[in-house]
Amino acid sequence: MTAPAELREFVAAYLVEAEEHLATANSQLLAIEAAQRRGEANPRAVRETFRSLHTIKGLSAMVGVEPIVAIAHRLESFLREFDRSGAPLPPQAIDGLLRGVRAIEQRVTALGRGDIAPEPSDELLAELDSLGLARRAPSASARSLDLEPALYGKLAPFEIDQIFRGIALGKRALRAEFIPSPARVAEGLSINSVRERLSAIAEIVRVLPQALPVSADAPGGLSFVLIVLTSASDEAIVERVGSALGAVRNIAAELSVPAPADTELTSEPPLDLAPDDAFDVQTRRGVVRVDVSRLDDAMEGLSALIVTRFRLARAVAALGERGVNTRELGAIMTDNARQLRDLRAAIVRVRMVPVSELLERVPLLVRGLRRSANRAVRLELEGGTAELDKSVCERLFPVIVHLVRNAVDHAIETPDERLRRGKPEEGLLRITCSARSNTRLELTVSDDGRGIDRTSVARKAGRPSPNDDAALLDLLCIPGLSTRDIATTTSGRGMGMEIVKRTIVDELGGELAVSSELGKGTTFTLQVPLTISIVDAFSFECAEQRFVVPVSMVDEIIEVDPQGLAPLPAIDDGSPRVDIISRRGMALPMVQLAQVFGLQKTQATPGKAIIVRRAGAPLAFAVDRMLGQQEVVIRPVNDVLIRAPGISGATDLGDGRPTLVLDLIALSVSLSALPKARGARS
Amino acid sequence: MTLHVVFRLAGNEYAIPVDSVLQMETFSGATFVPGAPSYVAGLVTVRGLIVPVIDLRARLGLPPAALTLDTRVIVSECAGRVVALVVDSAREVLKLDLEKHQPAPGIVSEQASGFVHAVHALGQRLLLLVDLPKILGETSHEHALRGRLGDVSETPQLPG
Repeated sequence: MTAPAELREFVAAYLVEAEEHLATANSQLLAIEAAQRRGEANPRAVRETFRSLHTIKGLSAMVGVEPIVAIAHRLESFLREFDRSGAPLPPQAIDGLLRGVRAIEQRVTALGRGDIAPEPSDELLAELDSLGLARRAPSASARSLDLEPALYGKLAPFEIDQIFRGIALGKRALRAEFIPSPARVAEGLSINSVRERLSAIAEIVRVLPQALPVSADAPGGLSFVLIVLTSASDEAIVERVGSALGAVRNIAAELSVPAPADTELTSEPPLDLAPDDAFDVQTRRGVVRVDVSRLDDAMEGLSALIVTRFRLARAVAALGERGVNTRELGAIMTDNARQLRDLRAAIVRVRMVPVSELLERVPLLVRGLRRSANRAVRLELEGGTAELDKSVCERLFPVIVHLVRNAVDHAIETPDERLRRGKPEEGLLRITCSARSNTRLELTVSDDGRGIDRTSVARKAGRPSPNDDAALLDLLCIPGLSTRDIATTTSGRGMGMEIVKRTIVDELGGELAVSSELGKGTTFTLQVPLTISIVDAFSFECAEQRFVVPVSMVDEIIEVDPQGLAPLPAIDDGSPRVDIISRRGMALPMVQLAQVFGLQKTQATPGKAIIVRRAGAPLAFAVDRMLGQQEVVIRPVNDVLIRAPGISGATDLGDGRPTLVLDLIALSVSLSALPKARGARS
Repeated sequence: MTLHVVFRLAGNEYAIPVDSVLQMETFSGATFVPGAPSYVAGLVTVRGLIVPVIDLRARLGLPPAALTLDTRVIVSECAGRVVALVVDSAREVLKLDLEKHQPAPGIVSEQASGFVHAVHALGQRLLLLVDLPKILGETSHEHALRGRLGDVSETPQLPG
């Protein structure tokens, strides 16, 4: 029976998709709110929000999550009704919508944990139901546009509303036309590039595709009518659209013409996929969502391939020793090595996500904080196109949350205080993100708040006052300097900064810096590597040196009983001595890791043996003692000086010194592959 | 005139151009790396980067010395590689006129195993200019690449 497994898989896909649509709904609602603050409407965002909620509803119904269906349905129908009415969204409605989205999020999270999504409370449902009451009756004012009825009919009421609001603000409403053709494409003009070029100088209300008779001018039998609001001249518009001047017309020249009845024109629900929306769908095509664990599986598979490659190399070497000509095999092996290298690079690349994925959650966070801390904050995000490893992204997010929270809660003054100090009422929180090199990303979180009072922090910490920014950072990152008391007197920078430092510096191997000017503001600069590789690993000690080995490589860890040791007859060829130990009655070869590595042995008898299995045959490595198990970040050790079999990288166990990460499987393979070459290594 | 970092090693003064130096750090030991060449002291972490450390005394065939408070690592960059060098002390940055570099006399070059490529007389002082690429050993891009896939490329040499 495979049905349960398929269902599980389906639920996993559902969760991923639902989260994505929830993120969209959140960010679009915030965009609507931001537009409202500027006194503008954002019909596109309304439509996006609607679409996300509509999809969530449909998906939830498919997997049978009724509580989510109930909430999503209310949100969706409110948006639909509101959209038909053409009225602006009342500010309090945004709150209700966000609460509804949050309620869905909580249920999605519960499902992700394997719990059952709780039924929505009656209060919540009542609140969502009452959202609809806040809407205004449709505007009945007579107005019209100089537009073909067929096109006018395709405009949604809110779009017409948007046009008139734009006219009221002194903009001109124009109808431009773009006719796609192969010749235009050759010039780089497509409807998408026209949109892009036009949006720099005009607000695009709607793009309406319309059929034309096929002619030399319109070889595709298609044109796009662009309804735009702009302050630019007709010539500028023509230049951007790349069409003849006649194709641009002011559609709001005559405002006195009576309006056709709204109701007739909107008999079709305007929110369903309009033809021009198909372009958005296009841009998402070719994207596959993959669970990270599947990528890990692929990496595992590659590792197995690498081990097989070792055996192959060994077999080729053996052939060569017997006098067989292996020249051609050697060439194949070289190709094979390159292909494996490319494959590994490709898998690493697949794990990369755009940095915008990290930043798109910040606006919602700031919004919540703005409310709870009663601060006026303007958020500026500067994303960039860098990509970073999914696991880096996940570790970085809590740090960003921390820095943003501190900035809004403590660094940025209340509006009154800011006015008193001669600052703009609204505080500025700025987050920038840029790739510093091929391997590192720089993030800054800065505010124009009150800055850090060095002497005050120093007094609280009982240390001398720091005289530069580096010393200040050290002070802020003292563990335990995290009481509320200090947090408030020092603009909150003491709170949990040691966690920030631990994540950035110790876990991710990045850098952290601060610069702060009293009364002017504070900037935190984070530099992190774009990729890291995190594995669960055992740490152990051998000849007083610490090592780690990934858990996935270890078959078993056993106590070594000195009584049960049976040394094999020593072969004096420089290869490490092999003992035979017994594990559950089976004989098992064991080598001393210290001897393999040429380390000075201090402990007479080994305490533990780490058993690895390669190609089915187990081998035990004797070590002194096990220290523990933890997740470690493996940093590559690439330099030719320190490349040696069995060393796959280094990590920091928190003491600021590199600890070697061992690949005991590769080591065991190389031990058996090169029995005579052992002594040559130094 | 080019800025040079001047460091001391077994009583002599050496110099390398500042552009190849990333930073200088105090040194309290490195993580031993099994299988590395004997002149490699091990690995250190420098600002989150794992960097191999060359014991420059060992590399130049000088007798070993105990670590002191003056011991420094000079983190250098050469052909895309970042490698640190352990020196007895490093305190000075000097402007040197490249025109005044003289080829190292045969005996000097020989004694320093060819790692000193020029000398520079500065008043009474004689600065030895070290050949960084040569000290770091393999520098070709191909080698740096080879390391990337790890052990796949560490295959036994095939005969024939």
